[in-house]
Amino acid sequence: MEDKLEKEIFELICYMLISARNLDQETKMYGPFRLVDAASKLIEILEKNEIYDEFLSQVRTIIEANKYKVMTNKEDFVSFLDDLALKMVANLKEAE
Amino acid sequence: MRVFEAIKGRRSIRKFEDRSIEKKILHKLVEAGVWAPTGGNSQTWVFIIVTDSDRIRKIKAVSPGILGIPSALVVVCQDKELAYKKGGELGRDVSSIMDVAMASQNIMLQAYNEKIGSCPVLSFYKKGVQTLLNIPEWIVPELLISLGYPAELPKPPKRKFGEVCFFEEYKCANGR
Repeated sequence: MEDKLEKEIFELICYMLISARNLDQETKMYGPFRLVDAASKLIEILEKNEIYDEFLSQVRTIIEANKYKVMTNKEDFVSFLDDLALKMVANLKEAE
Repeated sequence: MRVFEAIKGRRSIRKFEDRSIEKKILHKLVEAGVWAPTGGNSQTWVFIIVTDSDRIRKIKAVSPGILGIPSALVVVCQDKELAYKKGGELGRDVSSIMDVAMASQNIMLQAYNEKIGSCPVLSFYKKGVQTLLNIPEWIVPELLISLGYPAELPKPPKRKFGEVCFFEEYKCANGR
């Protein structure tokens, strides 16, 4: 189990660092896209390794349902990011 | 299948079934690629088919543009030394990229014909892919094509045919 977790985390770190390397040449909106995609991948890894959180699971579902808007409609994508950010803040406040 | 039906039906697929693609079908896809036109008939591309799941995982780790878990990848490369020998700077820097694009479209259309989903990927770390696949430095990976049986059928983005197609001469619209 630990080996698998290490492998998954290593690959996620690879994904983030390679994204950082490539993003200076890519379209600006791919920056936020890679970040939300990385967040989704991290939640997925946690879930696979029995670290489950209902709220984060919802966040992942929302990301997966909306992330590709970056390819079709920038305004819709930004609006999805806005809603997601507000959802995170509301949860943060609740946890006080 | 009619060509126009394939052209209009092909989608970029980012979610795949966990099902492998037969080797002979993969060969046929690349064969479709090599029948694409090339600048000056240079034919300087190199295609690497990857099906090993562990290798795909590693390539995916250095390729942020690969979404979903494809069953296979075609790494479309250009032999830059040969392209320069055959076509000079224009051949190496411009024509070779166009050749990759034309071959890749053939591959993706043939994939659609075989009911296989595809997605062209430009967001990847070239040196990383070269290292992982033992590709020498003069052979440069220019595009990855992820392949697999589709687990989704995305709606096509709108096309602006009327705004981009002109007969006889360009007509200025909205000051552009």
